[in-house]
Amino acid sequence: MAINVGYFVRESFLSFRRNWVMSLGAIITIYLSLLIVGVSVGSGYIIEQIVSGVEQKFSIRVFLSDNAAPESVTAIEAELAADPRVLTLTHTTKEMALEEFIATTLEDSPEIVESLPGNPLPASIDLDLKNPSEDVLAVVEDIKAHPLFASVAESPDDPEKSIQYGQEIVGQLLALTKMIRTVGAVFIGLLGFISLIFINNSIRLAIYARRKEIGIMRLVGASNWFIRTPFLMEGVIQSLVGAFLAIGTLAIVWVYLLPRAREVLGFLRFELPLSAAASISLILIASGIIVGLIGSGLALRRYLKV
Amino acid sequence: MISMRNVSKIYVPNKPPALDDCNVEIEQGEFVFLVGHSGSGKSTFIRLLLRELLPTKGQIVVAGQDLGKMKHWKVPYLRRNIGCVFQDFKLLPNKTTYENIAFALEVIGRSKHVIRTQVPEVLRLVGLEEKTDSYPDELSGGEQQRVSIARAFVNRPPLLLADEPTGNLDPATSLGIMSLLNRINKTGTTVLVATHDREMVDSMRRRVIALEGGRVIRDQDRGVYGYGD
Repeated sequence: MAINVGYFVRESFLSFRRNWVMSLGAIITIYLSLLIVGVSVGSGYIIEQIVSGVEQKFSIRVFLSDNAAPESVTAIEAELAADPRVLTLTHTTKEMALEEFIATTLEDSPEIVESLPGNPLPASIDLDLKNPSEDVLAVVEDIKAHPLFASVAESPDDPEKSIQYGQEIVGQLLALTKMIRTVGAVFIGLLGFISLIFINNSIRLAIYARRKEIGIMRLVGASNWFIRTPFLMEGVIQSLVGAFLAIGTLAIVWVYLLPRAREVLGFLRFELPLSAAASISLILIASGIIVGLIGSGLALRRYLKV
Repeated sequence: MISMRNVSKIYVPNKPPALDDCNVEIEQGEFVFLVGHSGSGKSTFIRLLLRELLPTKGQIVVAGQDLGKMKHWKVPYLRRNIGCVFQDFKLLPNKTTYENIAFALEVIGRSKHVIRTQVPEVLRLVGLEEKTDSYPDELSGGEQQRVSIARAFVNRPPLLLADEPTGNLDPATSLGIMSLLNRINKTGTTVLVATHDREMVDSMRRRVIALEGGRVIRDQDRGVYGYGD
């Protein structure tokens, strides 16, 4: 007889097993790339929140010498108040500074202040800016360059120390965001490429395993899309499985790890609301479908002539 | 049903053509043998009719459609009008007789109802009602070829092409296959059989188109295999 049964059994078994491994490989690579997509989108969202939270708290404080001439202080204040980059300007007197210090730091034992020889706290000019992250450095430089600054600064020997601002923290956070985005993009690109190769290969093997059926389908006039659709579906299903695994992993992080991180990092205020988590899931599902379609589409173009 | 005008097919430039300026007209309802040695162009002839290949020169019209002008996506619909039978049967080993035939209807989107009525009908026609649930490896070569003919004919195509349908079968079985093809021809279907089975051709006394070196060297009604060798 022309047909050797054992050969077919062996061949289809082998092809199934080979294809099973390839499918798993495709699923895992898609899972990893989508996981990274999810992590970078989610952490980008959180870091942006932290940055804007820090920025809001953020102001420039110029400490004034007790001996500063009131005219000079008023002149500087008038100039700064007119600056378009400045949102609000507050003059904190020595008394106000002391009250604030007592309120924030010494609320349990205000009597300590009584033991002080006088009021050690300096007066200050407090500035809130409209765009802190962009303008902080420039405004600080302008203040330092002001001809009257040295005369009013708290420490005349080293006027630089009289200005407090948190540019370093904001700069670091922004650099961190940028780095996460860059590294994320590189990984996404790399893993996306590997996913495409894996899907391409697993579909190629699926086509190979079913080449006899495909030949007959072509012969009896099955339409091109009828032949192609199952393979496209296979690619999409593989990447959807990867996408759902990634969403599941991220959901675990979201439910169990994020609240704990919030506890530990209590000084940083952030949250990832359900709406953001849902849109991240949608992004993952959509990119899964797109990667699956492209991967199997490429395989069909190359290996399935209809 | 089939019209070839000045058709040439050249696979490799500067080599002898597989088909050289062929002119063939086959009317609806005819039964035609296409004979010739291996390499005479029989397979190329069949593949051109199925539009697996396009001719290098000339015009081919099958079932009223000019294959050269046909859009790529329309080719499957052409093939639904052409039943095809091959020497190696091309059955799926993991499907029963019934499933193999039903598959041909499923993949062109026929309804379950159509499948349930047409498959038993064509099984009766080829005489395999008893073997409905057998797998190809449980069938003899002749029975497998009947299944493949049933699959080719279940959609009632106006044209049936058979490429060496008896090439793997003994003479007695071949006779049965030929009489089955004859019966199908009697239903009004045009049948074209490519073969080098001399006894078959001589005993049937139907129209014979002989190819040699890619040229039609003889076309006669009620012919014989010829060649004298």
